[in-house]
Amino acid sequence: MAQPVPPKRYSGIAQFLHWVIAALIIAQFALAWTAEDLPLGMHKLALFAKHKSFGMTVLMLALLRLAWRFANPPPALPSGMTGIERSLARVTHIAFYVLLFAMPLTGWMMSSAKNYSVSWFGLFTWPNLVAPNETTFGWLRSTHDTLSDVLLAVAVLHILAALKHHFWNKDDVLLRMLPGTRAGKKP
Amino acid sequence: MTRSLVLAVSLLVAGFGCGVVRAAPAYVTDAGASSIDFTGVQAGAAFKGTFHKFSAAIEFSPDALPSAHFDVVIDLSSVDTLDKDRDTTMRGPDIFDVAHFPTAHYVTRTVTKTATGYSATGSLTLRGVTKDVPIDFQWAASAAGAAPVGAAAKLQGTATLKRLDFGVGQGDWKSTEWIADSVKIAFSLVLKPKP
Repeated sequence: MAQPVPPKRYSGIAQFLHWVIAALIIAQFALAWTAEDLPLGMHKLALFAKHKSFGMTVLMLALLRLAWRFANPPPALPSGMTGIERSLARVTHIAFYVLLFAMPLTGWMMSSAKNYSVSWFGLFTWPNLVAPNETTFGWLRSTHDTLSDVLLAVAVLHILAALKHHFWNKDDVLLRMLPGTRAGKKP
Repeated sequence: MTRSLVLAVSLLVAGFGCGVVRAAPAYVTDAGASSIDFTGVQAGAAFKGTFHKFSAAIEFSPDALPSAHFDVVIDLSSVDTLDKDRDTTMRGPDIFDVAHFPTAHYVTRTVTKTATGYSATGSLTLRGVTKDVPIDFQWAASAAGAAPVGAAAKLQGTATLKRLDFGVGQGDWKSTEWIADSVKIAFSLVLKPKP
C-alpha cells in the first residue's frame, strides 16, 4: 500500500476556515474593545450580542476545522527550517487551537455566570454552562481577558512568522494558505 | 323588645350564612415560600428575574368567585436578576424609575372559572400607568392536599404584559430590537389565613 503523498497546499476548506476564523477574531477584538467600557445600555447589549454570536460561530468552526485537520493533514513545513523554528511553529499552532476553544468556552461560561444566556443571532439559545454567580463571573472574566492577551501575542507572532517566511526565506508557507495563488499547485 | 332584637339579629346572621353573596376567606402570603418572577428576553435569550419584596391580600374561595379579590403590591427596588449591573439599571430612571414609582400595584376586578383553572381581569399600575393585565391561575386548597404543609392554600399563575405599555424602557430602551416588549410573569403564592 502506497503512503499518501503529503499535500503541497492547504485544501480549499482549510483555507476557507482559516480566513473566516481570522476575520471573526479581528471582529471579536473590535467588538469587545468597543463594548467593554460602555455603560450598560442598548448599545452595549447589541455589541455583546454580536460578540457572543461570533464567538459561538468561531467555536463551531473550530470544531469543524480540527476535524478537517485530522482527516486532511496539513502540508509539511519547509525542509530548511531549524529544529527551534519547527518547535516554535508547532507550539504557536497548538496554542491557536487551544485558544480557538478556550476563548469561546470561557466567554460562554461568563454569560452563563452573569445570567445573560447566549443566543446565536437570535435564532436559538445555548444552554447555560454554569450557575449565575458574581464570583465565578469575575474569575471567568479575568481568564477570558488574559487569554485574549495571549491570543493577541500568538497572532502577532504568527503574522510576523508568515511574513518572514514569505519575504525573508522566500518559501511558500504564506502562499499555500492564500486562496488564488499557485504555490504548491501543479503547473 | 328584647325578643324582637334577638329575632332580628338571628335573621341577619342567617341572611349572611346562606345569602346570595358569600364572602371569600381572606389570606396573606407566606413571604418565604412565595415568589413573583418574570422572564424577559435580551438579545434573543430569555433571562429570569424575581422580586424579593411584595405583599398580597388575597380573598378567594372557589364557591364565592364574585367576591374574590386580589391586591398585590410589589417593591420594585427588590428586583433581582442575578446581575447587580442589570438590577441597578432596572431600578434607574429609564426602566422602573423606583425613585418616582417605588411599587407596582395589581388589583383584580373579576375572577372567572376556566377549563383549566381560573382567570382574573385586573389592572396593573406600573410607572404611573394603569392598564388591564389578565392573569391565569390555579388554586389549591390545603384540604385537597395540594398546598404545602401548614399553608391554607396555594395560588399559582402566569400573566404576560408588554413593558412598553407601561413605559418600562425609556430612551434607547424603547427599542425592542435587543429587549423584547413582551415580559412573562409567573407567581406562586403560599397563603395563610389573614390574622
